[in-house]
Amino acid sequence: MYWNRETSKPSASHEGEIIREARIIALSDPNDVYNEPLYYGPLPDGSKLLAVGSSAENFDKEEIISQKPNVMFVSHPNSRGPLAKGMFSSTLAEYCMMACSYFAKDLPRLMKQKNNIQWQQYPVLELRGSTLGVVGYGDIGRASAKLAKAYGMRVLGLKRNASSFSDPYCDHLYGIDGLHSLMAESDYILISTPLTEQTRGMISADVLSHCKQSAVIINVGRGPIIDENALIEVLKEGKIKGAGLDVMTIEPLPESSPLWTLDNVLLSPHNMDMTLTFMRESTEFFINENLPRFVKGKQLLNPVDKAAGY
Amino acid sequence: MTISTSAFIAIARTGRSIAKTVSPRATFPSISLLSHHDDDLYRLSSNTVFRAYTVSPRLAKKAWDPSLDQYKYWNREDSKKGEASYVLDMSPESIQKEARILCLAAENDDANNPLTKGVLPFGAKLLKSGVAPDDFDHASIKEQRPNVLFVSPSCPHARHQLPKMLRLFPSIDWIHVRSAGIDFLESEELPVVLTARPNLVVTNAKGQFSSSLAEYVMMACAYFAKDIPRLLRQKGAKVWHDFDITELRGKTMGIVGYGDIGRAAAKLASVYGMRVVALRRNPAKSEFDPICDEVYGTGKDALQKLMSVSDYVVCSAPSTVETRGMVNADAFKASKADQVFINLGRGPVVDENALLESLKNKTLRGAALDVFATEPLPPDHEFWDMDNVLISPHNMDKTATFMHEATEFFVNENLPRFVLGDALLNPVDPSLGY
Repeated sequence: MYWNRETSKPSASHEGEIIREARIIALSDPNDVYNEPLYYGPLPDGSKLLAVGSSAENFDKEEIISQKPNVMFVSHPNSRGPLAKGMFSSTLAEYCMMACSYFAKDLPRLMKQKNNIQWQQYPVLELRGSTLGVVGYGDIGRASAKLAKAYGMRVLGLKRNASSFSDPYCDHLYGIDGLHSLMAESDYILISTPLTEQTRGMISADVLSHCKQSAVIINVGRGPIIDENALIEVLKEGKIKGAGLDVMTIEPLPESSPLWTLDNVLLSPHNMDMTLTFMRESTEFFINENLPRFVKGKQLLNPVDKAAGY
Repeated sequence: MTISTSAFIAIARTGRSIAKTVSPRATFPSISLLSHHDDDLYRLSSNTVFRAYTVSPRLAKKAWDPSLDQYKYWNREDSKKGEASYVLDMSPESIQKEARILCLAAENDDANNPLTKGVLPFGAKLLKSGVAPDDFDHASIKEQRPNVLFVSPSCPHARHQLPKMLRLFPSIDWIHVRSAGIDFLESEELPVVLTARPNLVVTNAKGQFSSSLAEYVMMACAYFAKDIPRLLRQKGAKVWHDFDITELRGKTMGIVGYGDIGRAAAKLASVYGMRVVALRRNPAKSEFDPICDEVYGTGKDALQKLMSVSDYVVCSAPSTVETRGMVNADAFKASKADQVFINLGRGPVVDENALLESLKNKTLRGAALDVFATEPLPPDHEFWDMDNVLISPHNMDKTATFMHEATEFFVNENLPRFVLGDALLNPVDPSLGY
């Protein structure tokens, strides 16, 4: 049901007859170059683009309404996340391993030594044999686990619905009640859950207190999943080794935030999945995968559970 | 059919009851070792038996091909540990000879504790540990006729000490080098001494450090792909600017010197979805390598071809007469645009001035260097000032236990093989330099 850019087979031919038309309106920026495959086509048989506009008023015209559009394509420059599930997992997995290595090889120390023109050998840690804890074992978590396994790491996962789940890349899967155990056992912790009412503030001061002192926390989910003030406290006090943060509670991060000046924080401006091609690939996925499925009455990929929020 | 082969078949048929009364050594048919004359290097005596290593059926066909000699080499992650020690423990009567060991190392080199303070296999004993030939020049040691020399890179002036040691002790059959690199032993005298001793075997610690260096390789690639230098600059200036990053997936990694380290890096790179091309002296040996997409031989054209197709170049070649200065200005001229160059082999393999130029004129996007022509890197070297150079003090394989593990490899894997009269792992050819 879910599309993964690396592992899903592109549907070479969507066999089947066209049983309905797709009349598309695109709620997006008409100048967005990444949507060109949609605006300029060609679109699959049975689909046509009625109009493009960046707000509802653009569509309030008789000639559009009368055609009864049945498909809406939404593309906001700042929107990421569940709408294009599976699209960027491998890019974020690459970031996850980089963040782990950044602390394992002590790059902060390397940078300091470089600044001081100091040649001093120090021991490095191996990722091999260490433990990666994935909080939110979804598509991103799994892609990261796949890499971690290649490195020889042990992988723990945590999922909302942990029952009847087995995955070759995950050595042990916890349910929600296993969060403290996962934190206590892991050397590197990846937060890759979506932001929902359940996950908001999930990584609290109490949860952080279960971490090893050598733990590294990596957040690619959403800032508010972690209690940012609590995180800053444990980072300042050296209660954990460090953090790799691609997302923050407030973005852009205000200048006053201590995160800017903490040595043991790897900060990135929510761009670790921002490849030159990701937006375009999202649009192409819509055109090449889901539109043909729609017109032939097949099940669509990447359904989103509106109630759950992802 | 030789007698030993028929004995093997008889034992196989009648089972354990007879096997108990016959030494296990006799059950292995004595195969005259591979016609390839290079293998003479590790043939210790005419009684050398070839141990049948178990390999997966997929590789079994290749494992018996004499020109693909991967069974000779140790890999810390993949190789089966303790096979030889097990045999020795189970049947100590199988020993063919004693190991009388001399250890050449710096004083207080703790990494040698598994040898100097540990429990050695049956039949092996350490005669003395010292810093220079003078430490060993005593009648009491000479008359014991030591036959094994263990050399650590910590030994000062090792390249001068080694020929002296060999002349002092003509009884030495086997030199084991604790590190992987043997360039620290190069001298003009050594080939002369070795030519007079054709039965002398030299082994090293190949395969012991590969996976930690592979981790460094992927980190160095990601360092530039995600533009960590820019992240750090922006962090320092408290600037929030989201910029596009590149993926490693789909990119090409070119490995110069496709040995154990190169292969470990290729393994990781392939899981990332990268394409791997490689360069080695014997490309035929990697013809069926599932991880490597293309393998080239040596020569200027091959190197330039590799440079022209690779987004990330990993230089993991040892420093030998052939490789010194190999990656030069001509090679960099052929570099693909925005290439990242990673050196974790030896500094002298790369022409450092050519590298510096290429970094300055943006032929290269950046470089990650763990090794340099002169170490420590002199404080006035231009690399220190360059934003697009990741400098590490030759420590990216230096885990807390790595050298202890290298000594343990000698004690637990090669020493038992020696006393059993088996082929030793990790033979090196000093004339080739690796």
